[in-house]
Amino acid sequence: MTPELEICPRAMLFGHTASITCLAKASTCSDKQYIVSASESGEMCLWDVNDGRCIEFTKLACAHTGIQFYQFTINTQREGRLLCNGHYPEILVVDATSLEVLYSLVSKISPDWISSMSIIRSHRTQEDTVVAVSVTGILKVWIITAEVSRMQDLDPVFEEESKPIYCQGCQSISFCTFTQSSLLVVCSKYWRVFDAGDYSLLCSVPSDTDQAWTGGEFIAADKVIIWTEDGCSYIYKLPPSCLPASEHFRSDVGKTKEGSIPPLVYSIASRSDKQLLICPPVTRFFFGRREPFHKLLIQGDSAGRLSMWSIPETSPLQPLSTAAELQVSSSVSLQEAFDKLTPVSAGIIDQLSVLPGKEEPIKVTASVYIPSQGRMVCGREDGSIILVPATQTAIVQLLQGEHMLRRGWPPHRTLRGHRNKVTCVLYPYQISPRYDQRSLVSGGVDFSVIVWDIFTGEMKHIFCVHGGEITQLIIPPENCSNRVQHCVCSVASDHSVGLLSLRERKCIMLASRHLFPIQVIKWRPADDYLVVGCSDGSVYVWQMDTGALDRCVMGITAVEILNACDELAPATVDALSHSAVNLKQAMTRRSLAALKNMATHKLQTLATNLLAADNADKGNLPKYSHNALVVQAMKTNLTDPDMHVLFFDVEAVIIQLLTEEAQRPSPTLVSPETLQKSQAGADKGGSFLANKIFKQVKETMKETIKEHLLDEDEEEEEEMRRREEKSKSLSLLEYNLTMDTAKLFMSCLHAWGLNEHLDGICLERLGMLRPHCPISFGLISRGGHMSLMLPTFKESLLYQLSLATGRTLTLSDIVGKGTYGVSRAVTTQHLLSIISLANTLMSMTNATFVGEHMKKAPARPPRPGGTPESPRRTPAVPPQPSCPALQAQIKQGWSQLAAMHCVMLPDLLGLDKFRPPLLEMLARRWQDRCLEVREAAQALLLAELRRIGQSGRKDTIDLWAPYLPQYVDTVSSPGSTTEPSSPAPPPPEPQPVETMAPEEQMDVTDDDITAGCLSNLPPNAKKISNSYEERRKQATAIVLLGVIGAEFGAEIEPPKGAVRARTGGQAPEGFGLTSGGSSNYSLARHTCKALTFLLLQPPSPKLPPHSTIRRTAIDLIGRGFTVWEPYMDVSAVLMGLLELCADAEKQLAK
Amino acid sequence: MLNPQRSLSELPKMSAASQVERAVLEEEFNWLLKEEVHAVLKQLQDVLKEASRRFSTPTPGLESQLKQENFILGSSTMDQVKGVLTLQGEALSQADINLKVAKSSQVLHFQFREDKQWKLQQIQDARNHVNQALQLLNSRDESYHFQTGAEVNKLMDAVMLQLTRARNRLTTPASMTLPELATSGLMKMFTPPMPGDVMVNFYINLSKLCLTVYQLHVLPPNTTKNFKPAGSSVLHNPGAMFELNHNRFEVSHVHKVECVVPWLNDTLVFFTISLQLCQQLKDKISVFSSFWNYRPF
Repeated sequence: MTPELEICPRAMLFGHTASITCLAKASTCSDKQYIVSASESGEMCLWDVNDGRCIEFTKLACAHTGIQFYQFTINTQREGRLLCNGHYPEILVVDATSLEVLYSLVSKISPDWISSMSIIRSHRTQEDTVVAVSVTGILKVWIITAEVSRMQDLDPVFEEESKPIYCQGCQSISFCTFTQSSLLVVCSKYWRVFDAGDYSLLCSVPSDTDQAWTGGEFIAADKVIIWTEDGCSYIYKLPPSCLPASEHFRSDVGKTKEGSIPPLVYSIASRSDKQLLICPPVTRFFFGRREPFHKLLIQGDSAGRLSMWSIPETSPLQPLSTAAELQVSSSVSLQEAFDKLTPVSAGIIDQLSVLPGKEEPIKVTASVYIPSQGRMVCGREDGSIILVPATQTAIVQLLQGEHMLRRGWPPHRTLRGHRNKVTCVLYPYQISPRYDQRSLVSGGVDFSVIVWDIFTGEMKHIFCVHGGEITQLIIPPENCSNRVQHCVCSVASDHSVGLLSLRERKCIMLASRHLFPIQVIKWRPADDYLVVGCSDGSVYVWQMDTGALDRCVMGITAVEILNACDELAPATVDALSHSAVNLKQAMTRRSLAALKNMATHKLQTLATNLLAADNADKGNLPKYSHNALVVQAMKTNLTDPDMHVLFFDVEAVIIQLLTEEAQRPSPTLVSPETLQKSQAGADKGGSFLANKIFKQVKETMKETIKEHLLDEDEEEEEEMRRREEKSKSLSLLEYNLTMDTAKLFMSCLHAWGLNEHLDGICLERLGMLRPHCPISFGLISRGGHMSLMLPTFKESLLYQLSLATGRTLTLSDIVGKGTYGVSRAVTTQHLLSIISLANTLMSMTNATFVGEHMKKAPARPPRPGGTPESPRRTPAVPPQPSCPALQAQIKQGWSQLAAMHCVMLPDLLGLDKFRPPLLEMLARRWQDRCLEVREAAQALLLAELRRIGQSGRKDTIDLWAPYLPQYVDTVSSPGSTTEPSSPAPPPPEPQPVETMAPEEQMDVTDDDITAGCLSNLPPNAKKISNSYEERRKQATAIVLLGVIGAEFGAEIEPPKGAVRARTGGQAPEGFGLTSGGSSNYSLARHTCKALTFLLLQPPSPKLPPHSTIRRTAIDLIGRGFTVWEPYMDVSAVLMGLLELCADAEKQLAK
Repeated sequence: MLNPQRSLSELPKMSAASQVERAVLEEEFNWLLKEEVHAVLKQLQDVLKEASRRFSTPTPGLESQLKQENFILGSSTMDQVKGVLTLQGEALSQADINLKVAKSSQVLHFQFREDKQWKLQQIQDARNHVNQALQLLNSRDESYHFQTGAEVNKLMDAVMLQLTRARNRLTTPASMTLPELATSGLMKMFTPPMPGDVMVNFYINLSKLCLTVYQLHVLPPNTTKNFKPAGSSVLHNPGAMFELNHNRFEVSHVHKVECVVPWLNDTLVFFTISLQLCQQLKDKISVFSSFWNYRPF
């Protein structure tokens, strides 16, 4: 939002599985802008508004309907709490950073759901009051004293007062902050003002017959604003009996005053041209706390529109009978914001979908990405399905280049068969190799399911068994009966489920007659059961072979049946595919040696396979693959076209590039099939979506390509198809997927326009392309939460930047480099990716995106590898020096690119346009599993530390020192009862390892680094919350301080006094243990202790022998040995290192 | 989503359905929105009012005037446990539990303390959900003119969500762990106080008021039996173990007795009927929506 009250949509946050019930802010300081959201299913998420990271999330059994942020101060330390009410009779008090439930406010007298609440802060005493109204209309008062807020056990707090106020259907309650003595209670039929002292009724105003109030707030001592369900708001002047300043205050307590409507000052109608809304809008009133003190009424509705009214201070001079209408100050809807963009954001295959004479391209309604072939399959509104290479179509939409002039580019194939909208597309082979590689299945609104041959484009079969639109296509699990294994399961909107056999080409079972829409399909293969869960909670169990309905249950049995299906599944899957499981286990155990071992083994088999061209043991290769590029379709509305998000996995790109480099000796044997295999093999290391960075392409309208007549178009399509049939089956596989992905990725990330010379090199020599317009990026947080920047973000960015530089910028000015000014987290990810990738490309032969080799599989011998990672050590063939001058130029280009992003970017951009990378994120990558990412992270971190200078480093130290865990050492724990050397016993760590596992699968090194730390919290430190964030901070603090100590050790030592003083000052918050008197060199010593602890800690499930954190510790001990030496037990460290070495030897020898 | 205007403007291009056919459809859809929707809403309201009436809502201050109902919980096959519970609105105001201990053939007798009531949260939640559903329905009375199918769908979704929740609250009792049960306030409500080796739990399952009594025995601290704490469940089986205050317990006997509460049965039937009504209305709308969304190519 700008000071002129213009609203600009910035980002969209994803992560809830049910509809959102309430939002609230979760911090007050301006540098931490957090919000918290809650959904119907009881999930709560804490988001950072700046970059959209999900910081913490949790799930409770109950759904919240209201959350209020509450901040209090204990001994100058500020802590945030969230008060939640909802479908339960208490008010839950939740910590605002960890989202843990701390305690609850309980009613003793007639407890019931709380419909709304308000916090009254008292400036005089330390006591704050929570006033709430229950659904039965009873006013409840709780007092939160200082002791109560410090309380951390789950003792309930009982109410102080409970008084029936006879307000049924209470919508909101608010406290007058101006006079501190009245309360406004809004119910759907009337609103009332109460005295805040004894809760006696001061005035009551009924609503008009056809309107229902939904909320209200005081806007001044004598004025209230009340809004209704249909979006209108009214400002009333309160009668004198409600004003403490007036002599008539409380003059008529006890008398009934129904019907006396106070004078209306303003009325605010909702928009006159309002679209039909499907549900009532949400209205809130906000006070500006800082300059300029706006009083704003903000309304959001189901059409994606936000409207804002600025409430004037003064009353109009008109006669009060005709209340003045207040004009809307600003209003914007998402659709409008998107339409204003130039160029309009494009859909993934818009260039192929434009119909002559129509404004809009044909909407894409369903799509699937086939990573093994790099192709997108897009089902469209008109019933056609388009097959297109994903990277090439993305390049067309996002980047400028010669391809813009070519018509019908990229090469594609059209499948026609559905009579109307395609609703779902499925490529069964992608999910299980038991299916034919050729078949593609699609379902449409014409009730049919069609099986296609993906290579010839032939329609193989049409199933017409359902009586409604097909909504979903699913694959049955591995261990079903042989017959069912070759089926796909289709779900239709007539509440029926079909099992369609692709092999027999007939429907083997149709389960219909469900009364409610189908919500979930589960399987019990062992019993030959298909379990259908309906939206009303009923469960139908069908026998797959006979098609008989086994039973239909509800309630608790239904839940149990569904849960039982989940429990059965993983065990059976594990038993089946051994090789994949081994690899997976190695991956989760993070055992480097095991991984290496596995990797060399896999590579050897791969090499032999390649040389012998032996395709026989295809099954041995792991199916566990992560792809460099994944295209995921998303929908925000049923009628909207799909939008596509491109996920890049930097690690996977690097590994694929290196593997291809390694494969070059045997070009003749690279058949499409083996190429695919090698990719699968290459993925052995690249398993994490760590660096997922993605761009978003929003499907909206796009400029039409002119001069197309309908007939012509049809002909062309035909022609194209024929041509395709001849050449396509080869050409589609022949283009170099990896290089294309890298090209797309690098082009999007490069900060264009900063260095003319370098831009030239990039365009000409390296073959990168300049984007059309700034690209929207996103961020993935833990647990699959993600945020996507909306294309409109660049408007706000533009505004912000031109304000900073003092001149107006055009859109082209911020292409590429603009994203580095968005947020620190985004900058970090981008810089890491671009530097690591540039370094990889630099080390490759002929790594440019121009020239012939882009079109074919790589056919060049490799440079003899010099790095320890195994992929590069493959059979080295004598290098062929191919025009070394050009080679050198290309390498130089990449190195310049890397250098610019690593070191020069802050200077070139200027600090107002550059958000520096986050030190903590880099610190976590200090010893990333992927060598290239690791190197990039180290280089960046050191560059950034150098840039911020001594004072910046000192600030960093001060910031992170409090998080440094205090490992209990013998000196400081004379009185502690617990055994100092043993890690915390399991009971205080209720998090079992099993629950960690799925999380680790999802994400990344971040987890890895925390894994080590949680096990060694000192048992008698302050009750540290088990929150993820807390643990992660500890780990980060160790690494960051370790790095600063090791690299700038001379600096950390001399000003010791200052640092110590500050850490000493923090002692009351949990480091009281060491402040006892023995601390001489607290910081350096503690860092050193932490590092050695990590090294010497015996391997455990939580801290495996070869974890990232341990590796980091070893690395840092080595780097800063001179700094640590005085504090460490050198012999113990040496012993620990030797032991680890011995282990590694053993494992390698196996 | 459903826009009659757009479909009208596209009439000439319609290939699948003839002009007349579409006009008829249009008319039928309008009838659906104008007449049928309100008829269904009226019917829904009646059913839900009936359901809501079954839950006697206490007026603040007059809780004691609510009707008291006695239920005798027992089973024909075993007579170890017998309970007489008094349900007043949504709370159990009195309880008498007789427990025959197998070994000693001694009969233990407990009842609620005078000043205590045990609120059945399941009933309160169900009642609140129904009332919210009713409120939603009341906001759209006959004078309201529905203009799109999406609007109706949205209302139905909201109503169905509340109804499903209401029904689920009754059909799926909260599953608790044994330590949770042992520390719950229910244990402190009895006179004479419950001995340490007996635990009770009350809940609603479908239309039945259930009483579960667990008899425990303490596991010796250095037992060879491997100890595995049981997770949360509605009904724990004999042999389930748990740890509380450094003592380990094992459930030795479980007695479950129940009694049907007639008015809860009624409400469940009403919920099911109304859910089906809602879904049928949604299905009717969806038939038309697939026509309106039709775009010829």
